[in-house]
Amino acid sequence: MNRHLKVAFMVAPILLVLGWGGADFYEESKANETRFIQLEQEGQCDIINKNCVLKSGEFKVNVFDKDGVTVVNSTFPLDTATLFLVDENDKMTTYQLGMQLTPYYWSRETPLRQLVSNKGEGHKLRLLAQIKGGQYISEFYTQTAK
Amino acid sequence: MENKETYWSENLRIIFICLAIWFVVSFGFGLLLVEPLNAIRLGGYKLGFWFAQQGSIYAFLALVFWYSAKMNTLDKKYDVGS
Repeated sequence: MNRHLKVAFMVAPILLVLGWGGADFYEESKANETRFIQLEQEGQCDIINKNCVLKSGEFKVNVFDKDGVTVVNSTFPLDTATLFLVDENDKMTTYQLGMQLTPYYWSRETPLRQLVSNKGEGHKLRLLAQIKGGQYISEFYTQTAK
Repeated sequence: MENKETYWSENLRIIFICLAIWFVVSFGFGLLLVEPLNAIRLGGYKLGFWFAQQGSIYAFLALVFWYSAKMNTLDKKYDVGS
């Protein structure tokens, strides 16, 4: 092994570590950029009967009502979750949900159950779920089936 | 003296070529151009992913031997003994 080969083999790991550090830094800063991702409704949405799933790729959000408390359960931990009830005049009422025991569950008491308690009643909602590096947004319509 | 300076400048040129290839292979192919490269498949793997995982290491190894060979040629050309 000549001296140039020795030097190259000594320098290569340093460059490798530098490259690894640089790539990590690049990925980290890219992940911190806020992106908006639209959640799509998976089939019919019926919050009262615990049948409302919104999804985007592997990220899924289940929205359901439990005794007047609207609960949001997601497959990834959330930083914040905000629910908006939208009336027929397109006016929104904001409900900032609070975290339950884990960041996978967020809830708050809302008037949703009173608004759509009877069969056939529906209401428009919007959801804003924030995770690191992205905000998931969705506009959907809940309709009580039974 | 003049010979020494030419030797050094050629030496630097080789080092800069190595660093440019190192940057293109690791950051260029593995990160910045990963999406367009992923459209190409190599042995069932996405090319951008392959470069980030394995390809860059192979390129670094090849670079080590290429650098050594180039420097040996340079040593002989300028009669620089080891």
